[in-house]
Amino acid sequence: MTSKESGIVSGKTPSEAGVELEAERGGISRRGFIGASVAGGASTVLPAVAFGVENSVTETSRPASTPPDAKKMAREVGSSSPPEPLATVRRAASDLMVQVLRDLEIEYVALNPGSSFEGLQESLINYGERPNHMPEVISAMHEGAAVDMAHGYGRSEGKPMCALLQGTVGLQNASMAIYQAYHGHTPMIILAGNDENNFLKVHTGEDIAGLVRPYTKWDAQPKTLEDTLVALQEAYRQSITPPCAPTLVVLNSEIQKEEAGDLQVPRYSAPVVRSIGKSQATIIAKALLQAKNPHISVGRLRSQAGIDHAVTLAELVGASVDSMATFGPMSFPQRHPLVGVGQDKNYDFHLGLEIAAADVSITGPHLKSITDRDAAGIGFGWKENPNLKRRPIPDTLIAEDAEASLPLIINAIESQLTASLNSVIVERIEKHSEKNRSARINSLHKAIEKKRPGWHGTPVSLARMYAELWPMIKDLDWCLASPSNFTGRHHRELWDHDKPYSYLGQYPAAALGYCLGASAGAALAARSRDRIVINIQGDGDFNFMPGTVWSAVHHQLPMLTIMHNNRAWHMELMYVQYMAGVRGRGTDRAHIGTTFRDPYINYAKLAEGYGMKSEGPISDPDEMVAALQRGVDAVKRGEPYLIDVLTQPR
Amino acid sequence: MNKIKFMLRVGFCMVGASIVLSAIASDDLKSDEEARVVQSSGKQLYYDHGCFACHGYNGIGKHNLANDVSAIMTSEAVYLAFIRARSELNPPLPSQKMPHYPASSLSDQQALDIYAYIKTFRDTPPKVDDAPALKAIVEAAQQ
Repeated sequence: MTSKESGIVSGKTPSEAGVELEAERGGISRRGFIGASVAGGASTVLPAVAFGVENSVTETSRPASTPPDAKKMAREVGSSSPPEPLATVRRAASDLMVQVLRDLEIEYVALNPGSSFEGLQESLINYGERPNHMPEVISAMHEGAAVDMAHGYGRSEGKPMCALLQGTVGLQNASMAIYQAYHGHTPMIILAGNDENNFLKVHTGEDIAGLVRPYTKWDAQPKTLEDTLVALQEAYRQSITPPCAPTLVVLNSEIQKEEAGDLQVPRYSAPVVRSIGKSQATIIAKALLQAKNPHISVGRLRSQAGIDHAVTLAELVGASVDSMATFGPMSFPQRHPLVGVGQDKNYDFHLGLEIAAADVSITGPHLKSITDRDAAGIGFGWKENPNLKRRPIPDTLIAEDAEASLPLIINAIESQLTASLNSVIVERIEKHSEKNRSARINSLHKAIEKKRPGWHGTPVSLARMYAELWPMIKDLDWCLASPSNFTGRHHRELWDHDKPYSYLGQYPAAALGYCLGASAGAALAARSRDRIVINIQGDGDFNFMPGTVWSAVHHQLPMLTIMHNNRAWHMELMYVQYMAGVRGRGTDRAHIGTTFRDPYINYAKLAEGYGMKSEGPISDPDEMVAALQRGVDAVKRGEPYLIDVLTQPR
Repeated sequence: MNKIKFMLRVGFCMVGASIVLSAIASDDLKSDEEARVVQSSGKQLYYDHGCFACHGYNGIGKHNLANDVSAIMTSEAVYLAFIRARSELNPPLPSQKMPHYPASSLSDQQALDIYAYIKTFRDTPPKVDDAPALKAIVEAAQQ
């Protein structure tokens, strides 16, 4: 991925020349050479024997190795050089690319460095009056982590962040994370460097965007600087236009280094999001006002503005509301007085906003409607299972964006609303509020009855973990970024989800490895917004890309990671147990390949190694409570913190 | 088909009940020392066979066992009949979720050691007023 791997030598330094000479003599072993090279720096090559690396090994203790040839030597130590120096440029093309991102208010570009975007990377860190700001470079330890960060940020803020990847290899490393973001309908811009001329051919291709085309919404591989700038703007526009999704621009490495001359950044025009028509809005408004008991179901909207409009609409007509805020981001505030079944379940008009409803459903276009990007017919994720019973699509579905339609409906209602109608509505709101409040208290009592068992148990009960954490964070601005389907979903009943980012939802493609990176991305958003991020982190997920811990420390992300350390890929453990049970072979070997035993992993020490403050493992619930408070205090100061908690399996 | 299943269920219950009656007396015969050994063995077996996966390490989990809440744990005989059901009484009864164990994978003695260990599970959930976090949540909702 980097020049170290190229094996191509151009412009040898004195030390490299020395390397070749020594290698040709066959006098230095591989390990000895590396030690010497590192210690000697760029200008000095010391003989390996000076370090005694191989001296303790006798000739007879192992077979003599054949020295690698000079080319392999150069590759081994990364002594191959970048391409020939370029002519000095007055105005770098990649500066204009950064300007486009800055104008679009892209806050971050997460990257793992590569050899096809040094032009852009240099501009990111040096261009402008305030370099490395809007966007700021975020160091990721893996391309998948870079995309997961953009995913968490996108779900939290409803707008794109960038992930910058290296050619074919970086794109393939990131492909699973891109797939997950696609199924999450998450806006993000993926930039992939492509060096067609000077470097590793295996990192390039004729159509590298084709690697991920079936699960990106749009891509471009521009051949000029002007087209590149236009493509970046279009990638942003496409990404935020429903259906929202990742988009990709392949950046030619040579174009990044060009002289931009007098070329100007093209003017950006915001997308026009399709909404329902005025006449449809009038009909819906009339139905809501005429109904004696209207009900609104709210799914996932796109922004705070959309949520505000949904609240306005519900309050204007006095409708009871269903919210999806405990299932994912950008829905109606969970504890709003109108949320609940209301005074009566017999609704005479039921409106759905980005969710199916009985009478009228306004749901924007789905990614399934994009059918021309899967040329090979792979059918990633959209193949219908004939054995599954699906809800029929309601006849009254309007395939337009709900958020864009809300202002029209509100306007129509305001023009039809009379004083007498308004008094009826005010009275209805009071009844709904009272009924919903008592229902909420009843359901809370029932929920708590299920949380109390195992309260004092060791290892720690997950219900207690969620319950103890809530009083510590409830008065802060917080975001639960981690999927909770493996940790019991206890926040749904115990916490209040009243912000668009209160809970970022489940794994969109049910693929592990997402949680830590997505939480870091949400924490990137939180860092400048006086917000904290809670990451209740499964151990199986953590181990995909633990290097993100370092990224969180390096960038000082306010992320509290609490390990759900059940020492297993627990769902799979249960699957294997069940299969062994069905086949009557016993479950005593079901732990093979499904658990973290021999040895157990110490996550506090691992985090400490990456520089993160941490504690644990903790199995006593009382000790956990004190640790949680220390963790919350740390992230309030803007410091990431990890608590390793040994937990019950579920 | 439903009729066959019903008759199998009835038959299963009758067999189970007769075993229960014959086994009730044997539960109290173990000395304290014997009980300790059995429970220690049961603890290891409970772990080795992954019972904790669904029942937690203390009998609180996806399916609770602590405080003798499970009807399956009424007696050793019912318990034994239950865990053998799939492997030795086909078609599978009464559950398709709990793994079932033939004697070749878990002997009667091993199964009864696990039974004895499960019987030690006791859970004392706090009252809401005694759990500050729960109390705070309830009070906030009532405001």
